[in-house]
Amino acid sequence: MRLLIVLVTAIASVGLAGCKADPPGKLETKTVTFAKHHIFIRNKNQKNPLLYSSETWADGKQAFSHYCVACHGIDGQNTGVPFVDHISPPIPSLASDDVQRYTDGQLKWILDNGIRPSGMPGSKGTLSDDELWSIVVFLRHLPPAGSQGVPEIYTH
Amino acid sequence: MKTKFMLLALFVGIATASVFSTRVVQAQAAPRRIEVTAKRFAFEPGEITVKKGQPVVLVLKSTDVAHGLRFRELNLDVKIPKGDTVELPFTPDKTGDFVGHCSVFCGSGHGAMTLTLHVMD
Repeated sequence: MRLLIVLVTAIASVGLAGCKADPPGKLETKTVTFAKHHIFIRNKNQKNPLLYSSETWADGKQAFSHYCVACHGIDGQNTGVPFVDHISPPIPSLASDDVQRYTDGQLKWILDNGIRPSGMPGSKGTLSDDELWSIVVFLRHLPPAGSQGVPEIYTH
Repeated sequence: MKTKFMLLALFVGIATASVFSTRVVQAQAAPRRIEVTAKRFAFEPGEITVKKGQPVVLVLKSTDVAHGLRFRELNLDVKIPKGDTVELPFTPDKTGDFVGHCSVFCGSGHGAMTLTLHVMD
């Protein structure tokens, strides 16, 4: 009985230590980034049916504002997001090379399905296809970092 | 006499033309009204069939929160305030199936809230 208690305590301790939101190491980051780009994130060849225009960009910005801003900021570059340095894996700037190297089809796939276990949720059904493709347009033409202010939810 | 006759004929012609043109305008100005209810997360009815060239008025009523209806391909977009009714008049000018979406974010099922418009010849 005593042994069992010690064993359970030991396992729980290891488990809890493993749950800490420490930043991932370089090897983990490189491995996961490679796997996402080349294995897990599909839909590489699908083209965006919406062309870039001021209207589709504004549609994308509007759709992005519904809830994406809670983690990514209004500018898609985490401006004003208070937990951005305390979450693991870290929330990437959507202007970063790692994100911009995805094809339009892959970005749509991520928006549809999310990325497990990063915390990125899928939005299929919550936002329409039209809105999701307009977000892809917005992601390709993000405003300058900090130019859009802080999401309203973090201002009071 | 000849001049008077010609003036009379002209007057009768203009009067006839104006009467007929008024009737044509009146006929075109009587659009088909279709009532549609918008409620989280569906339009009721969810499908509508109309004729190309036939004027239509969609009478859109929200029974809960604010909604919207947008057909990007038809360049139609209207907002429906919470609990309110708005009218969307239009005349479809091309045949096909067009899917309109709720254009005001209304919650978790917002993306699946659609209205399909079948436009027939």
